[in-house]
Amino acid sequence: MSQVISINNLSKAYKKQQVLNNLSWEIRAGDVIGLLGKNGAGKSTLLKSILNIEVVEQGTIEIFGENNQQLSCTNKNKIGYVPQENDEIPWLSINDLVTLRKRFYDQWSDEKVAGLMQRWDIDGSKQVSELSPGQMQKVLIMLALGPLPQLLILDEPAAALDPIARREFLKELVELACEEEISIIFSTHITSDIERVANKVAVLDKGKICYFDELDNFKESVVNLSFTHTKGQALAIPHLLRSECQGNQTHCVVSAVDQSWLDQLASQDVSYHINQLGLEDIFMELTR
Amino acid sequence: MQSLNISPSSGIPIYKQVLSQVERMIINGHLSCGETLPSVRQLASTLQVNPMTISKAYGLLEERGYLTRLRGRGMVVAEQTQTVSEQGKVAMLSEMIDQLINEASLMGVDQESLLRLMNQRIKDSTNSTDEE
Repeated sequence: MSQVISINNLSKAYKKQQVLNNLSWEIRAGDVIGLLGKNGAGKSTLLKSILNIEVVEQGTIEIFGENNQQLSCTNKNKIGYVPQENDEIPWLSINDLVTLRKRFYDQWSDEKVAGLMQRWDIDGSKQVSELSPGQMQKVLIMLALGPLPQLLILDEPAAALDPIARREFLKELVELACEEEISIIFSTHITSDIERVANKVAVLDKGKICYFDELDNFKESVVNLSFTHTKGQALAIPHLLRSECQGNQTHCVVSAVDQSWLDQLASQDVSYHINQLGLEDIFMELTR
Repeated sequence: MQSLNISPSSGIPIYKQVLSQVERMIINGHLSCGETLPSVRQLASTLQVNPMTISKAYGLLEERGYLTRLRGRGMVVAEQTQTVSEQGKVAMLSEMIDQLINEASLMGVDQESLLRLMNQRIKDSTNSTDEE
């Protein structure tokens, strides 16, 4: 599969605060990626840099094989973006907003927009200023989906949604993911949003993508291990993130499971047990 | 297939949950030979999970001989040979017993007491079915 985005050695600082530090990342077509990071980790900065809303100071970013600062109109047309904050004109009605946005794109699906408006119960005659944050978020997602994008970038898309709207939104993402060749990146700090929909997870920490893999691999490699020793021997645990000892038991978290090492333990009279962790726990362990 | 119960926040990857639940449904006869499964897209949409998760689970079920891909019909429950279904039952029960053994050892219950308890439970359950 081809690369949709490739980032090389991206660095970005605000005043003296280094936000992105020599970050490199490749995204393939068809991936649905959940981008996790603590508050202030630089998720929005990264997404805005990809879109050239934030100017890249150091490093290069390519989208569909073109430098993002000289992106052709054909490729710009393939991108949908939902910003974290709403900066639409307050006195426009939603219908006007749709008409306005449509004019910027070569391709636009009225059918898609009308369908979403109906399903998400959006009143087109209302003004932007009259909408609640949750309603506005739905409008922004709808607008991003209008041009039937091949690359969809969503910055905390579900943050303002109530549980029902959130489910509806995630359902929409699943439908989109069923269509081939669309790539989706969405940033969030709510791990349960990722667990259903994303096939890959990226963790942004200390200015870098410190982890990027398939969600399944992620869950199978970062696990909780418990050992019971009979002789109280010390263990050199590979890929150790953290451990604590209680009597003849050691509980630890590892970032990868070394099966051959575990197999050797039986000969040393140590029994072990693997406990799998949910994504939220994994995220906490990795960014601790 | 409506009865699949997925918990996304558990540590067990979703494809594994789908895999073991469908496997179980085939082994215990809830899904019978020749039955067509929903398409990847349909099931992904029903369960609200990424379609790649479902195709991964279907692929593994096909590899293990539980499903076959039929042209024009999609995924169908394969005819289970005696050995495959026997092996499946043994593997499934072994996994459950392993969990039990592990729990017991964490509680500090020794193997003998566990076996005694096991025998007692088997006796109790046969008695209660006799009474019915």
